[in-house]
Amino acid sequence: MDIGTLMNVMRDPAGIPSHPVVFQALMIFTWIFHIAFVLMTFGTAGLAIYGFYRRDRGEYWTRLSMAMTKSAKAGVSLLIVLGVAPLLFTQVVYDPQWYTASVLSARWLVVFIFTLIIGYCSWFIFYYSNKEGARHRIGWFAFIGLGLFMLDGLIMHTLAYQSLLPEQWMNWYAPGGVVDTSGATLHGIQWSRFLFIISLSVPAAGLYLMAYADYFKSRPDRERPYLAFARQLGVKLSVVGLCSSLVLFLWWQAELWRESVLATHPVGWLLGVSMLVLLYATVRYGQRAHGYALMGAGMAVLSILAVWREIVRTHYLLPFDYDITNYPVHADWPSTALFFLTFLGVGGSVGGFFVVLLYRAGRVQGMYTADKLVSRMGTLAVVMLALWTVTFFAYGIVIWMSSVFGN
Amino acid sequence: MDMLGMYPTFYVPQIGTAWIMGIIGTIHVVASHTSVGAAFLFALLETKAYRENKPQLMDYVKRYGMLLLVFSYIIGSVTGVGIWYSITIASPRGTAGLIHNFVWVWAAEWVYFTVEVIGVYALVYLIGKVDELTHLKLTWAFALASWATMLLILGIISFMMWPGSEVWYQTGSTNHAFYNINFFAHLGVRTGSMLVMATIVGLMVVSAMKDKSDELKKDVVRTLTPVGLIGGAVAVIMFFYYLQTLPPNAKVMLDAHLLPRYATGMIAVVAVTAVYLVVSWLKPLSLRLWITVPLFLFIGIVGVWPEERTRESMRKPYVAGQYIYGNQVIARDVPGKEIKGEVDHIAEHGLLKVHPFIPDRLRAITDENRLEVGRLLTKISCANCHALEPGAPLRNIPDKFHGATHKDLIAAFINGPLKHGAVSYMPRIDLPPEEVDAIATYLADANQRRLQGTEEDAGQSAIARPEKE
Repeated sequence: MDIGTLMNVMRDPAGIPSHPVVFQALMIFTWIFHIAFVLMTFGTAGLAIYGFYRRDRGEYWTRLSMAMTKSAKAGVSLLIVLGVAPLLFTQVVYDPQWYTASVLSARWLVVFIFTLIIGYCSWFIFYYSNKEGARHRIGWFAFIGLGLFMLDGLIMHTLAYQSLLPEQWMNWYAPGGVVDTSGATLHGIQWSRFLFIISLSVPAAGLYLMAYADYFKSRPDRERPYLAFARQLGVKLSVVGLCSSLVLFLWWQAELWRESVLATHPVGWLLGVSMLVLLYATVRYGQRAHGYALMGAGMAVLSILAVWREIVRTHYLLPFDYDITNYPVHADWPSTALFFLTFLGVGGSVGGFFVVLLYRAGRVQGMYTADKLVSRMGTLAVVMLALWTVTFFAYGIVIWMSSVFGN
Repeated sequence: MDMLGMYPTFYVPQIGTAWIMGIIGTIHVVASHTSVGAAFLFALLETKAYRENKPQLMDYVKRYGMLLLVFSYIIGSVTGVGIWYSITIASPRGTAGLIHNFVWVWAAEWVYFTVEVIGVYALVYLIGKVDELTHLKLTWAFALASWATMLLILGIISFMMWPGSEVWYQTGSTNHAFYNINFFAHLGVRTGSMLVMATIVGLMVVSAMKDKSDELKKDVVRTLTPVGLIGGAVAVIMFFYYLQTLPPNAKVMLDAHLLPRYATGMIAVVAVTAVYLVVSWLKPLSLRLWITVPLFLFIGIVGVWPEERTRESMRKPYVAGQYIYGNQVIARDVPGKEIKGEVDHIAEHGLLKVHPFIPDRLRAITDENRLEVGRLLTKISCANCHALEPGAPLRNIPDKFHGATHKDLIAAFINGPLKHGAVSYMPRIDLPPEEVDAIATYLADANQRRLQGTEEDAGQSAIARPEKE
C-alpha cells in the first residue's frame, strides 16, 4: 500500500465533528497568536540578556533588561497556552502526520517537557535576581533559559517538518529494515525555515519596544528620555532584524522553489513583500507612528506567514493525495456550540475583562480605580461564568440521567 | 487486504511508556489541583477581607499567589501539555480517538486555560493596584474559570474509563461520551481533593511567614482548615461512589491487584492529613515548614501517584471509551461513529500483514527472523502495559509467565485466554499460529537467557545481523 493511501487509512475512524476547513481556519488563526508570543518571548529574552551585559553603559540598559526579563517571563506562559489550540486543531485534520512524526522522535517530546520546565525555572531565577547591582554570573541562568527555549523550538519545528515528509517515515522508523522503537532521533530539520522564523524574534522585539514606549507614555514615573531610548532601540532592532529575516526568507524560499508550484505561488511572494513594506514603514515612520500600529503591521506579516505555512503543508501532502477536505465528518452540533459560545461568551467577557483591567491598571501610576465600563465588565465576567457553570450542570444532569436511567 | 490505521511503536525499556505518563501525570495533578483549589481559597479569603475590612489578608493571598505562579503555573501548564504529549507517544491511536470525539470540548477548555493564565497574572500583580471590589470580581472570575478547566477535562478523562452505557456507542454523540456514568463521581473526588491540596500548600505558606502577625496567621489557618476538612470529606465520600461507577474489568483489577497494594497507603494519607488539619485548626501557631513540606510530598507520593497508577491500570485493557485497546487495536464496533472493530480482521490476516509499519523483510516469518519478529510483535501487542525485560518494574511479561522457558506453555496462554478475551483486564489478542509461535519463541528465549545469566536480548541481537549482512 502506498504511503498516500496509508495516510488516509490512518485518519481517526471517528471522523471529525465539523467541516475540516473550520479546523484549518482555526488552526491558522490560533497559530498567529502562538507564534507572536514565541517571537516576542525569544526577542525580549535575548534583549534582556543583551541589556544585562550592557548595564555599565547606562542606567537605561538596567531598566530595559529588567523590563524585558519580566516580559519574557509572562510571554512563556502565554506562548505555552496559546500553543495548545493550533496543536489541537492540527491533530484533528493532520492526525496521521502529527502522530507519526511524534512517535518517531518520541524521546524528544519527553525532553521537550522537562527542558521547558528547567528553562522556565531558570528564567524565573534570572527574573528574581536581575535587579540593580546583580552579579554578572546570574546571566548564566538567562542563557540556560533561552537556550532551552530555543531547543524546544527546534523540537517543535522538527516534528512539524517530519510531518511533511511521509515518504521518509519508514526509513526513519526502520533504517535498513531494522525497527527502532527508541524515538531517540530528530530526523528532519529544515534549517532555513527554522532560522527564518526564529529570526523574526529580532524585529518582534523591536516592534514590542516601540509599543512599550507608547504604552508607558501616560506614566509620569517613566521618563521621556528612557522611553525615547526604548523606541529608538526598537526601530534599530526592527530594521536590522527585518533585513536579516529577509535574507533567511529568501534561503527558505529557494529551498521551496524546488517545488515548481510554490515558486510562483503569490502568497509566498506576498510574505516577502509584506516584510519589505514593514521595513519601509519602520524606517520611514518608526519615530512618529504609534507603536501599536506598527505592531499591528507585524501581526499582519505573521498572518501571511501562517497562511503560507499552511499552503506549504498542503503542497507537500497533495502529491500523496492527502486532502483534508475529504476527511469524513460526523457533525456534532452540541459540542460545536459549546466551543463557539464559550469562545465568544467567556473568552470575550472574562478574557476581555482581565486584559482591559491589566492594560488600564498598568498605565496608571499608583492605584487604579475601575471606571463604570471596567466595573461592569467585571460584573459581567462573574455573571457569565456563573451562568456557564449552571448551564453546564443542568444540561449535564439531564443527559446523564437519560443515559443512566433511560436504558 | 485492508491495512489498519496503526502507528509506529515507541518503547522505553524497563518502565515502558506507562510510567512516563504516570510520572508526568502525577506532577500535573498535584500542580493543577493545587492551583484550582487555591483559586477558591483566594476567593474565600478575599471575600472575607472585603467584608470584614481585613486588607492584611491580601498580603497572604499575594504571597501564596506568587508561589503558585512560580511553581504551580509553570509546572502545571507545562506538564498539562506534557500529559498530552506523553499519551500521544504512548497511545497515538487512543489519543487520536479522544481528540476526534472531544475536540470542541478541548477547545473550550483551552479558552478557559488561556483566561486562567492571564487571570493568575492579573490576580497576583494587581493586588493593591486596583480597587478592592474590582479585584474581588477578578478573583471570583479567576476561581470559576479555573474550576471550569477541571469540569471540562474530567468528562474526557472519565470517558477514558468508559461511557457507562450503550447509548454513546449507538449515537456517537459527544453529549453521551462526556456526561458518562463516571463523570460526576470523578468530579466530586477531584474537587474535594483539590481543596485539600490547596489547603496544605496554604498552610505551608503560613508556616513560612515569619514576618506576619500571629493574628493574621490564626485568621488564615482557621479559615483554610475547615475548607480542607470539608474537601477531604467530599473526596472520600465521592471516592466510594466513584468505585460504584466503574466498569466490571476495573473492579476485577482493583480487587485483585490494586487495593491490596495501595489501600493501606491511601488510608494513611487520609488519616494523617485529617489529623494534621484538625491539629492545625486547634493550634494555628504551631505550624512548621518541616512538617507541611514532607506532608505535601507524602500526599503526592503515597496518595496521588498510586491514584494515577490505579486509574491508568483500571482502564486496562482500554485507553478510551472501552473501544480502543492500549495496543492501538479497535476493540469493538461503534455504530454511531461508523467505527469497525479490528480484532477479527487481525485474526484473519495477521498483524504482520495489516500493520503499516512493519518492514518488508519481517512481514513473512522465517527461522532467521523469528526471534526478531517475535520481539516486534510483543512490543506492538503488549508493550503499552508491559515491559519486555525480565525483572523490569512495569509488569514485565517474562515474569508474568513465571520464567517459563517452554514456548508451548506461553503459546497456550495466548491461544487460550488471550485469544478468547477471557481475562477481563487484558485485550483480546487473536493472532495466526505463526505469529503466536514467534511471540512465544521470543518470550521463552528471554526467560531461557535469564536462566543462563545471559543479559543480552535475543530479539535485539538478532536485529543487529541484517545490518551487517
